[in-house]
Amino acid sequence: MPITRNFSKVEEILKKHAYDKKNLIKILLDVQKEYRHLPKDVINYLGVALDLPPAKIYGVGTFYAQFSLKPKGQYAISICDGTACHMQGSTSLLQAIEKEIGIKPGEVTPDLLFSLDQVGCLGACALAPAMVINEEVYGNLTPEEVTRILKNLKERKEA
Amino acid sequence: MKIIVNGKETIIKDNERNMLEALQHIGIEIPNLCYLSEASTFGACRMCLVEVDGKDVVTSCTLSPREGMRIRTNTPEIYELRRGILELILASHDGDCPTCERNGSCKLQKYAEDFGIRKNRFSKNKKNTITDYSSPIVRDNSKCILCGDCVRVCEEIQSVGAIDFAYRGFNSQVVPAFEDGLSLTECVYCGQCVAYCPTGALTFRNDLDELYKALKKKKTVIGMIAPAVRVAIQEEFGLSSDMVMAGRLASFLRMSGFSKVFDVAFAADLVAYEEAYEFKDRLINKKALPQLTSCCPGWVKFVEQFYPDYLENLSSVQSPQQALGSVIKEIYARENGLNKEDIYLVSFMPCTAKKHEAKREELEGLVDLVLTTRELAQMVKTSGMKLKNIVPEPFDRPYGISSQSGLSFGKTGGVLMSVLDVLKDDIHISDVVITEREEGIKIVEALYGEGQTVRGAIVYGLGNVRAIMKEVQAGQLNVDVIEVMACNHGCIGGGGQPYPNDTVTRKERAMSLRDTVGINSINSPIENFYMRELYQKHFGQPLSEKAHHILHTTYKPHRRIAETNIEIMPLPVPETEKTTVKVCLGTSCYAKGSYKILADLIESVKSEEWAKNVEVMGTFCTENCGHSPNVLVGDQLVSEATTEKVIEALKTQIVRT
Repeated sequence: MPITRNFSKVEEILKKHAYDKKNLIKILLDVQKEYRHLPKDVINYLGVALDLPPAKIYGVGTFYAQFSLKPKGQYAISICDGTACHMQGSTSLLQAIEKEIGIKPGEVTPDLLFSLDQVGCLGACALAPAMVINEEVYGNLTPEEVTRILKNLKERKEA
Repeated sequence: MKIIVNGKETIIKDNERNMLEALQHIGIEIPNLCYLSEASTFGACRMCLVEVDGKDVVTSCTLSPREGMRIRTNTPEIYELRRGILELILASHDGDCPTCERNGSCKLQKYAEDFGIRKNRFSKNKKNTITDYSSPIVRDNSKCILCGDCVRVCEEIQSVGAIDFAYRGFNSQVVPAFEDGLSLTECVYCGQCVAYCPTGALTFRNDLDELYKALKKKKTVIGMIAPAVRVAIQEEFGLSSDMVMAGRLASFLRMSGFSKVFDVAFAADLVAYEEAYEFKDRLINKKALPQLTSCCPGWVKFVEQFYPDYLENLSSVQSPQQALGSVIKEIYARENGLNKEDIYLVSFMPCTAKKHEAKREELEGLVDLVLTTRELAQMVKTSGMKLKNIVPEPFDRPYGISSQSGLSFGKTGGVLMSVLDVLKDDIHISDVVITEREEGIKIVEALYGEGQTVRGAIVYGLGNVRAIMKEVQAGQLNVDVIEVMACNHGCIGGGGQPYPNDTVTRKERAMSLRDTVGINSINSPIENFYMRELYQKHFGQPLSEKAHHILHTTYKPHRRIAETNIEIMPLPVPETEKTTVKVCLGTSCYAKGSYKILADLIESVKSEEWAKNVEVMGTFCTENCGHSPNVLVGDQLVSEATTEKVIEALKTQIVRT
């Protein structure tokens, strides 16, 4: 039987951070990693467990770009559009990604496999144009290369 | 300490909190949009700039005074900076002043006028916002300037935290969690955010149209006026306080089509009398102590959400507004041959939470409409009548006279002292000593009976109450009764009062109420002849069955998180083929180990054959916090639950299906 929401994971995270509200950001980072977003009921659960108003947690969760209220894909793509990447043609990379997976920045594919965000700078300007998928950095990209990477990830899922 | 202000040597106090207050105290009102002396310093609006030692321009609210500091408050540079800030704020502001509730009392509007801003260098950049009409507190973020006053008042002074900043940069907004309506949050509708909002972003629901509709329908419209209204309404007209204001208002309402006008202070006498005997009963029998007063609807909702274990400590006597509503609808109507459906009862209150109280499930239908001091002032303004020229008239009988005690319900201490006043001769109360422990918390000690001590606490501000409740829970503070008013300084500081509604103004209102109380020649509720007559004719004794029926109410735990069901192990089969078990993960239940029960159940459902048709869900409150942890098995509520109890209940239900 599938478990939609297992608070045991949240409890593990809370325990790891000593149920201390001062560790809220660390707790949220772990929650984000676990669920690929901050689910509403988890925010409420944390409110109860940490004795914090949910409005406060919501405020922190919406402030930092690391957190998302909507689920991120299994592969969370951040395509860089900082100055260096922009000059090196990141726009064409973005078009290639949009064409391959059919979503725009800020969106997630219906099967939750990919999500796409456009970011200001990844700090990898020497590798421009660059993108990051989950924690892996890809540099010196071309549209063809991007399409190949995404195709590979899709196949990995099917296999 | 000596500093040099605008070239003049000036002496300021050594312990000033910051330069802004220091300058205020020597008569220089530095423009600001986010400074609240009652809360922490935020430094967001950047309006309060001053020049220090001829070079730096800094915010005076975050500047600590230092000996010999040279301050300039009015240089061309500062003027330009302030203007620039105002223009920037106005560029992203709705700016529709004529239709704004704060037209004429808005700080932003005032500064725009003071600085003579006629044309904005910056083009409009409107935010995409919605207006939240879900509760008596109306939020309109198109008028919000992100000063954060409301956030700090709600969190620091009231310890509720229903709203906070969300998002970032230009997209920043003050919102409840998940941008829900306020009615779905832990907001207690005290309206302190409304009191401190410098603009029209937070206001209360204006219900005046409802009154005119009722008057048009030729209903028997009856009014009643709370004590705190009569000592504040004159501020809307620039008048000084007026001892006969209540009489002018009564006369005004009659001229406006009201059939009768009664005094809520009468009901305060009634409530004090009933509540006093409730307290005596608890004190003598040592049960449900400390008794918590229940006049303040913000406080009542606060207890229901945060202290469900203390619901039986709340006095079950209704608030004066509701008690008088009950008496008018249940007794007055019958005595005067009126159908209670034909009476339209309007109460005039300093309070935004009273609008919520009148619509509470247990109390609905008693008071038909609650209007605030500001709405009443609006009525007077639109009538064209000059308040000062209206000849005062007494309230109508029989609910028109009140004692000093009843009138003093409008400010902190009024309720508890009235209760003691009623019991004075009955249980021989003497040697009353009141000590102020800190701002907002007073301790009352007195002797009663044969030398026993009775102790009470008088508290305002819900943050102060939280501190007191913590001590009570830990057994560190031993009191028999606690009076709570949610707003600082009591009802006179309610969210429906005129602007400015700050500490200085509240203290003035307290003095005015003290004087109004002082000239009343009836001392104690016991001397209120008409109130005693109610008992003789209808209730018999305090706490009688009849008195309970008319004057008392009930409370129940109140969820503070709106979301109800959380799918944990959903079972997509028809209702008839499964048994649903719902574990409460709300504060009380969580604290008592409901998570353990949830974990055990998940384990059982995963591994045990008998449990294969069990669906596991979670919920954030079953509103039965007094007997936590709670688990719903089908429709059956298992309280004080253990894994064994839940499994037993589950097995019985499975056998039945």
